[in-house]
Amino acid sequence: MPVEMSSRRSSSRISDEEISELISKLQSLLPESRRRSMSRASAAKLLKETCSYIKSLHREVDDLSDRLSDLMSTMDSGSPQAEIIRSILRS
Amino acid sequence: MQATKSFERAFLRQLLRVFRLSAVSYKSMSLQERKSAIKLSADVAMASARGSRKWTRGLIAKLSEEDEHRSFLRLILGTEYERLTKPCHGSWKIPRSKKIVRRSLRVCSRRKNNLRAPHGVKSSVLARTLVEKRTHALKRLVPGGESLDGYSLLDEALDYVISLRAQADLMQKLLTTFEASKLSALSKCTLPERKASFVGK
Repeated sequence: MPVEMSSRRSSSRISDEEISELISKLQSLLPESRRRSMSRASAAKLLKETCSYIKSLHREVDDLSDRLSDLMSTMDSGSPQAEIIRSILRS
Repeated sequence: MQATKSFERAFLRQLLRVFRLSAVSYKSMSLQERKSAIKLSADVAMASARGSRKWTRGLIAKLSEEDEHRSFLRLILGTEYERLTKPCHGSWKIPRSKKIVRRSLRVCSRRKNNLRAPHGVKSSVLARTLVEKRTHALKRLVPGGESLDGYSLLDEALDYVISLRAQADLMQKLLTTFEASKLSALSKCTLPERKASFVGK
């Protein structure tokens, strides 16, 4: 990736604390970090686990879309379930 | 960390609205088309509920790449679509980003066991390369992430992860409710009660 040197310098620096806080927040979201000791975290590991987690969330949403679309197919039928779904959507 | 209740409410509202609007076309769709439509609806609802963030803009931009999606997006988002697709002061990189990545590396390694002896230049070069590789991977996963660096990338990733989690949770709840309706089709349970149980107290 080409290094873009910008001549603009922002007056507000991001403190070490802010970085630490951001990293902590991210770590607390990741499923793996809850099991393992936090002290073993490295930047590389944090990035890897964040990427894994995002991918697994994508898969989860994909699967849920699958199941919802199966359910939506009952919308055209005259079943009581379809009518209930329709009324939930209408509300 | 969790998504806010107002985000969840907005998301649900948008999602139901989108389903309501698209339901009529589901009949004529193939299973695959319907699945794509629902996935698209869930993403639009999520971006719309979250508002203006780098990743929501990135997501809308990505979804807009397909012509047929664009009219759907305009329909769902209305004037919000124009606002979210407006170029956001170009893709300026934060000049201090490289410093910040270096600093976060230091902050992270301070937590490491101090007994581990440094292996000289090689291992730190390798570590940097690994971080770079994984940063690129993260950039590709977070919508709009390509133009972000360092702190901004992590910040957007955090927000994106929280929103994705909420998206999955809400879709699961919707699924559960719909499936439960099969059982309660004959029950006396009223609709408002069922809807209220969704978003929580």
